Amino acid sequence: MIVETKKILIDSKLECASGEALENFELMTDFYGELNEKKDNAVLVCHAFSGSHHAAGKRDGNIGWWDEFIGPDKTINTNRFFVVSVNNLGSCFGSSGPLSKDKNGERFNNNFPQLEVIDWVESQKMLADKLGIKKWHLVIGGSLGGMQSLQWAVSYPKMVKKVGILAAAAKTSSQNIALNEVEREVIRKDSDFHDGKYLEFNKSPIEGLKAARMLGHITYLSAKNMDQRFGRKLQSTDSKIAEDVDFEIENYLQYKGGKFAESFDANSYILLTKVMDKFDIAHGYEDSLETALENIAAEVLVVSFTTDWMFPTSNGKEICLASIKANNKCSYIELEGEHGHDSFLYPNDDYQNAIKNFIESK
Amino acid sequence: MKSDFKRIIEKWIPQNTKVLDLGCGDGDLLEYLKDSKNVNGFGIEIDVSKANECLKRNIPVMQCDIDEGIKEFDDLDFDITIMANSIQCLKNPNLALQNILNISNKCIVTLPNFAHWSCRLDLFLGKMPVTKNLPVPWYETKNIHLCTIKDFEELCSNLDVSVIEKLYLNNNFKESALTRLLPNLFAAEGVYLIERK
Repeated sequence: MIVETKKILIDSKLECASGEALENFELMTDFYGELNEKKDNAVLVCHAFSGSHHAAGKRDGNIGWWDEFIGPDKTINTNRFFVVSVNNLGSCFGSSGPLSKDKNGERFNNNFPQLEVIDWVESQKMLADKLGIKKWHLVIGGSLGGMQSLQWAVSYPKMVKKVGILAAAAKTSSQNIALNEVEREVIRKDSDFHDGKYLEFNKSPIEGLKAARMLGHITYLSAKNMDQRFGRKLQSTDSKIAEDVDFEIENYLQYKGGKFAESFDANSYILLTKVMDKFDIAHGYEDSLETALENIAAEVLVVSFTTDWMFPTSNGKEICLASIKANNKCSYIELEGEHGHDSFLYPNDDYQNAIKNFIESK
Repeated sequence: MKSDFKRIIEKWIPQNTKVLDLGCGDGDLLEYLKDSKNVNGFGIEIDVSKANECLKRNIPVMQCDIDEGIKEFDDLDFDITIMANSIQCLKNPNLALQNILNISNKCIVTLPNFAHWSCRLDLFLGKMPVTKNLPVPWYETKNIHLCTIKDFEELCSNLDVSVIEKLYLNNNFKESALTRLLPNLFAAEGVYLIERK
């Protein structure tokens, strides 16, 4: 499989939904496979909240977040399809975001324009134009990436042949927003946060970011999965990460949270959770989901997981039903998923068959 | 699905209509109707591997329980709903039938006749019927609301539903003099096209 990673400069102005603008921007992008001559085999894969462009293959000891799905003869067969995976604007893995510099050479920090999902779509539309891709064979993603896929299909109906919306919703719920706000609050209350200017003080709100991720992580798992994996097992003394840890689950969250906090930027965390909070595809369509989805020309596949309590199955069904009402061609697959919300990341025969059959059907 | 059966259903379905298939299996019938009648088909199927076959055939499908599905569909709009051999699996066939006719102008229902002589014989011998079109033993069957041709037609009349077309078929999906003469005894299968009065 041909793999390329490029930081691509889009030297045009991006007018954001908020009214702010970026004069130009960079998108860190992975490419897997080859674009054919007709340029009709391109697949855009959209990562979730904390993901990156690195979707497949092993690099610097890390495996891509959808490695079992992307590759030769895999779910998205790179012998046939050309996969494009972009690190979203505002994130912290190489694309323009709070860590980059503004036109005056100053680091954005907390002053990066507050984005919305639709801005990501705009930025990727500009990328598609640059790559000469007039129509994606498929735009697909899970969670926030699923929301982004949906936005693509609504914003640029002529550019999307098929759209896959996995473990996602047409809008974030009050509970989603509430949890995100707790996560933001613990970051802001870290004494090293310095109103978002922490890098100017050579600091980082590591503890706040870690706690935020610990809470976030719980929402990605299911109660059953946690019980099966950790139960009430006690952590052995020699492998305790923190002194006052008793249970394995505590140790696990400490470990995961800590590891995450080392590699993620706090301003990006705040910005991206707000992108998620803002998302409501029906906004601007008299709050009617059906009216919004009437724009879609793509064939739609929605997958939900019964163990997902972040975006429960009712969210997926709602998209499918509104889509049918809007006369779209839409399918809905409901799987148990062993991993709660995160199930969309894990290989499973029924799940992968659904995606593969959907992509490859004539 | 038997090709005779497909041809029967096909006759009742006009060109270019919006068709809902409840319990659509692998999407075989909807694909056939798409090719022959250019229908805009949509299926409901509980079994994920069958739903996945629908995706392969590019037939839109919602993977869910029919009972649950119909409830969710309350403000949708179809020309014809097909319920082939599944009414007897529903929790409330009477309510389901009414709900279907709320979202769909017409409905095609096919059902195994529990009063077919082979069933009567099994019962006479003191056993739950296991027949050609009811092959699964009582402890494994999904059929929780089996009925006879007489029962179904009575239900239609009680619900103010009119039967536009009906066919009484033997085990080979054919009408015969016998099935016409005494349908409740000789028809293995009843096939109906119904609508609200």
